[in-house]
Amino acid sequence: MKSYRLLPLVAAVVMFGSVHASAGGVKIVANPSVRADSITAAELRSVFLAEKRSLRDGSHVEPVLAKSGMAHEAFLKRYIGKSDDVLQTHYRTLVFTGTGLMPKVLASDAEIIHYVGKTKGAIGYVDSDLPVEGVKILTILQAGANTERRLITRVEPEYPDTLQRLRIGGTVRLSVTVSPKGSVDSVQVLGGNPILSESALKAVKQWVYTASPSQTTIEVSIPFNPRP
Amino acid sequence: MRRRIVELALMCLCAGQIGVQAQEFKVFDRTVQFHGFASQGFVYTDQNNWLTMHSSQGSGAFTDFGANASMQVTDKLRVGAQFYDRNLGNLGEWHPSLDWAFADYRFKPWLGIRGGKVKTALGLYNDTQDLDFLHTFALLPQSIYPTDLRDATIAHLGGDIYGSVSLRHHLGTISYTAYAGHRSDSMHSGYPYLLSQHQTYFDTYGGLQYGGDLRWNTPVSGFLVGASRMNEDITGKGLTINPFNPGAGLLPYSEFSKADWTNQFYGEYAAGKLRIDAEYRRYVRDQLIFGGTSANLTDVRGWYVAGAYRVAKRLEFGSYYSCYAITSVIWGPLAALAPNQTDTSLPANHIYDQVVTARIDLNKFWNIKIEGHFMDGYGNSTYPDGFYPQVNLQGFKPNTNALVLKTSVNF
Repeated sequence: MKSYRLLPLVAAVVMFGSVHASAGGVKIVANPSVRADSITAAELRSVFLAEKRSLRDGSHVEPVLAKSGMAHEAFLKRYIGKSDDVLQTHYRTLVFTGTGLMPKVLASDAEIIHYVGKTKGAIGYVDSDLPVEGVKILTILQAGANTERRLITRVEPEYPDTLQRLRIGGTVRLSVTVSPKGSVDSVQVLGGNPILSESALKAVKQWVYTASPSQTTIEVSIPFNPRP
Repeated sequence: MRRRIVELALMCLCAGQIGVQAQEFKVFDRTVQFHGFASQGFVYTDQNNWLTMHSSQGSGAFTDFGANASMQVTDKLRVGAQFYDRNLGNLGEWHPSLDWAFADYRFKPWLGIRGGKVKTALGLYNDTQDLDFLHTFALLPQSIYPTDLRDATIAHLGGDIYGSVSLRHHLGTISYTAYAGHRSDSMHSGYPYLLSQHQTYFDTYGGLQYGGDLRWNTPVSGFLVGASRMNEDITGKGLTINPFNPGAGLLPYSEFSKADWTNQFYGEYAAGKLRIDAEYRRYVRDQLIFGGTSANLTDVRGWYVAGAYRVAKRLEFGSYYSCYAITSVIWGPLAALAPNQTDTSLPANHIYDQVVTARIDLNKFWNIKIEGHFMDGYGNSTYPDGFYPQVNLQGFKPNTNALVLKTSVNF
């Protein structure tokens, strides 16, 4: 009987919780110029079907596809709902009727990370186990999550001089718990250089999100690039 | 026929050697993409000649190609153009045309505008009917997409308003297109060719075309339904011989619309390797002819049901049943020469086409199709659909079986 008491909690997690983009074998990577830290599954689909070229916060985005591979198959199955053949037909329809352009297609995860890192607005996907640098990882908000919750005050972390001089960089991953009012309640470091993590943690605690009916946990990735 | 097959095989081999890579280059720091396509078909029929080809001897006069360049100028503005050329029996005859050329500005996902020469949204495949590599079938159902009449619906010089709206409560997405513009037919199209049998030669044929398309991507994954409407006000001008006094020489000829509209309804379901689609079109064409001295009411009704299944990565099978029926009534002096055609059970007033196809994808850019058509009727009336008296001088037989081989490449 007691287990029934957990049902509302389970439902709340399913409805309002966010999941890390790496769930299901892929993580969504974006150029640091993309302001958003999260993207809804519906937005992701629209971007990769060339229906949208900007996110709800106005960030310009352009999709980058993998040519093949496990991450590619997993991404199409989970987020696009089309096979590679059907997706190619979709793009060719756009191209030859003048209603869209062919997206960039790259052969490997390494190429995708490199291209996304250097191309303004680029957004792609790679294997979830792959370490990445120079790109940000976007959280995917599942269906039912509050899609209006967005970052309205962002404080950039300081890059410690010593580390920058020594060209020590990397990405810090944080789990951020946001109150219903939008302030950051708590931050947990998930990974990254300890000194950079400390700097990121200080900054993120000052961030403010839009209000929401419930507390939300969001995973945030902050890249520190010693050669900007 | 053997020579034709050898020619086709050689063409395929040559096509495979084409460097099928899309090209990109930068203009003012903006990427310009360059794409192209080409297809070659071969048709053999056992009875009537089809699609203005001498197909009963085997014909390879079934070629088309096109190329385009497009550029995303800003996040919201895109420009591009495509040219297209074809030869289909006695149609097209290698006269290139501007297929589309327009600027597209998308304010919001729910509101965008296009201006220039724009492909017309009509049913599932009107705007992609030339693009062989997108379809399972070598010939789309001719009851809805008659390839000899592509000019009649393919594009308009004008503008579109379009957009898509996600419905609340996960009810799917509604996409809309509303358009208005000018249609201009090539003189190498099916209708001018049909009238040339009566020594009527158009100089111009076209007019106002406006309408809309509304489609609903339902909450059921892969299930789409929609409806299109097109209104037209068409004028054709040229020269003709007076049918009552052929010795008087060529006289000015004109015809113009009293009413001209098309309604089309469609649905598509795609799940995994399976795709099923069906469409219904009614086309009513009430035309004043011979300068308004006579009138011709043509009523065309067509529908099809099609299915395709990809049995392997490179092999897909498909089949459709296409049903075409036409009635034609003439008023005025010309009625004495052209009897009414209202009985759609007669082979002259219908085409029932059963089709089976195999599509082989040699790679992502090159495919080959083998298709069989088993047709009952030849639908020869005052408006054409594939069968023309000029290439069937011995008269029509009631049934026609056709073998279509086609290959296409794109990059």
